Amino acid sequence: MSNFSVSFSADGGIQVLSLRGELDAHTAPELEAAIQKCKDDQNFKIVINGEQLQYISSAGLGVFMADIEEVREEGGDIKIAALQPKVFNIFDLLGFPLLFNIVDTVEEAVSLFQNGES
Amino acid sequence: MSNGFLSRWTKRGNLAKPSPRTKRAVLLVFFTIFYLLGAGYHFILWSSGATSGVVVPFVYNVVILACYGSLWLLISDRFRQSRATPAKAFWHTLVVGSVLFGLAYAVAQIPGGFYGDGLPGFWTTIVKMNVLNLMEATFFFVLLLRFRDLVLYKRTKSSERNWYLMLGFMVIASLITLVKPLGEGDDLILMLAIIPAVAFMMVNAFRVSWIVQLSFKDKMATSGLSMLLLGLFVVGALVGGEDLQPLNSSFLVFYSSPLSLFSGLGGIFGILFSVTALLSLLFHLPTTGDFQRKADEMAVMHSLTHLVNQVFELEKLVSTITASPVEAGSADSAWLAVADPGTGSLRPRIIATHDIAPSVLAQLVDTDALYEEVLQTKEPVLLSQAPLDHRVEARPGDGLSSLLAIPLRARNETLGALFVAREVTHGFEKDDVEAISIFAAQAALALDNARLFEEQIEKERLSRELAIAKEVQHKLLPQRLPSLEGLTLAASSVSAQEVGGDYYDFVRLDDNRLSFIVADVSGKGTSAAFYMAEMQGVFQSVSHIAPDPRDFLTHANRALASSLDRNVFISVIYGVLDLQKEEMMLARAGHCPAATINLTGDARFLRSQGLGLGLDRGALFRKTLAVECISLQPGDVYVLYTDGLVESRGPTGEEYGYDRLLQSVSAHRHEDAPDLHTALLTDLDRFLGGQRLYDDDMTLVVLKWHGIDLSQAADAGQKNYPVRAVSLD
Repeated sequence: MSNFSVSFSADGGIQVLSLRGELDAHTAPELEAAIQKCKDDQNFKIVINGEQLQYISSAGLGVFMADIEEVREEGGDIKIAALQPKVFNIFDLLGFPLLFNIVDTVEEAVSLFQNGES
Repeated sequence: MSNGFLSRWTKRGNLAKPSPRTKRAVLLVFFTIFYLLGAGYHFILWSSGATSGVVVPFVYNVVILACYGSLWLLISDRFRQSRATPAKAFWHTLVVGSVLFGLAYAVAQIPGGFYGDGLPGFWTTIVKMNVLNLMEATFFFVLLLRFRDLVLYKRTKSSERNWYLMLGFMVIASLITLVKPLGEGDDLILMLAIIPAVAFMMVNAFRVSWIVQLSFKDKMATSGLSMLLLGLFVVGALVGGEDLQPLNSSFLVFYSSPLSLFSGLGGIFGILFSVTALLSLLFHLPTTGDFQRKADEMAVMHSLTHLVNQVFELEKLVSTITASPVEAGSADSAWLAVADPGTGSLRPRIIATHDIAPSVLAQLVDTDALYEEVLQTKEPVLLSQAPLDHRVEARPGDGLSSLLAIPLRARNETLGALFVAREVTHGFEKDDVEAISIFAAQAALALDNARLFEEQIEKERLSRELAIAKEVQHKLLPQRLPSLEGLTLAASSVSAQEVGGDYYDFVRLDDNRLSFIVADVSGKGTSAAFYMAEMQGVFQSVSHIAPDPRDFLTHANRALASSLDRNVFISVIYGVLDLQKEEMMLARAGHCPAATINLTGDARFLRSQGLGLGLDRGALFRKTLAVECISLQPGDVYVLYTDGLVESRGPTGEEYGYDRLLQSVSAHRHEDAPDLHTALLTDLDRFLGGQRLYDDDMTLVVLKWHGIDLSQAADAGQKNYPVRAVSLD
């Protein structure tokens, strides 16, 4: 049924969540759960890999807003990488680039974390 | 088919058959004639003093068989009309037997019972022979026909077959004696018929299921009667014994060998059946109370009707479900736990108890843990010695010595569990578990129906509420669009669900200024609708006080921040149109960019910077918000919309998109706002393949600036456009 999935991978101390499919009001809880899991595991450095993300609705965008404050208070961040142009447009319209690091590649996002650390 | 026809048809059917009365009269006449003919034959034999070849005795035998055949049918017909209870069957047989035995004994006192060389010795011999045989046959016929009711109690195809096979072999054996009279030579062939007859007698004698339904009293009475009947057989056998006077019956056989054998076989069956009946009755006597109790339990718990009737009252239903096993005597206390469907929690909640206080129960039994096991095994969990189980804190004497938990399952789902307890250990035997399980199955069904019923009610209530919400929300949108010189307007909004999060509105600030807004709350449905209502309040009040886009949006952002959830935001496009200055200030707070086109066909999106409301609650919002100040030219078109428009998907799954929107706007740019609005929606509909199924709220607002000097516009071939509101819903 659900045409959305999240897969986890770790790059150093950084959690990479690769999203696939369409993130909307129905599938948003899956991403919420994934981010919750990162927080539970004390992983506050999170990179969202949007390479396979086909669509995001406003409810899907809300997921990022819900957690960002807490993650940042813990010294972490959510960085968004490799969005497809159409999906980036949705982030961009809302002004997300003003609030999040949105970069072209996962590596770039990871290195942003690493540079921030050193 | 009319009733008249049916009744006529039935009547005709009745006419074809002789009435029972006629049948009985005919049988009686036949019996009397044949009986007298038989007696006559003996008198002829006696008076002539000579036997008469082969043919005449054969005819005599046929007559006798016809005579007793008629008698059998007569008695059978009589008994068929009133089926006997077990006690009555024995009683009838006993009474008939005793009376006939008494009469027979009296008749036997008449001297002259001798039969030699195929001839009766005296005339009294003939009388005695005829009368005694009639009595004997009558008794055994009565016995067989009365016992038939018992043997065929709760008949099945096979029990019926066994009964008729027994009678059949008895008749065959009897008929064999016609050709081979009793006591002549070896009886091998005869034995071949008698053995199966006796075998079937045994089978039939063990058909004693009628005993189960008897009360203790009935059993006592019936066993007494069967004992008396057996006594009668013993006395009859002793008195009728060959060497014992006065009832030396050896000559009786000369009346009719088949009849004598049939009666003899009937006697054997009588004794067999009486013995098995007596023994079974005696064995069943002590368990009668248990059977009765079980039957009562079953009756109480199986009466589905009282559960079904309570489907409309869940509370009453659960208390009945809980009380039933206790009232039926199957348990000493009971409670019912269900997983709360409302909260979706798997933790059971005890919703009813019977003969145990909930507070006591909570201390003594870990219902959660037991429920967990029932949930996993989907089978009853029996704790025969409950106090030994780690989940039970009860000590002997607490009334929870044995405990049974049974899942309530309906539609492959465990709704809850019924717990029953007894004060004694090992209080639930296998059959108790089965009985309560059957009850639990029915209870689950009733519970499930009750739940569905409640859900239905709730659903209807919600849909009524939603209908009201829809109406209220509709009223939050402008009922009439403002009418301004030099400007045409058109607006519409549809929700994917009953209520939605889209909003558009206009406020007339003063004679020359109009503020407008198009907003989209993230998500959809009820929660979005509440924020939409809040947005409406903010717009209607704040835009008067702080009409400047940056001021308005900053105020709105602050005002909404306290009530918006962290994951909810509102994208807004807000503008103020000044008719006098012929300019428009426009700001975009995270919203879809307005599409604009001028008279020359220069089309573009106004994508100024700005965060959605609620995304940043500090200074960043105001700092990053850009406001465009646009000088209006006649023919300028501004199309404001929510993402539901550009994200609408056609049959192939492709989005309508920004490019198509701009093309469509461009194509229809010469229309006034209402016609342009209609044209845009028509174009969208065409793209969607005619199926107007929006999976998101969708709002479309069109503003067209015609210029203050309308006479100029008229000169340019344009009409004076009246303001029209177009609504999609």
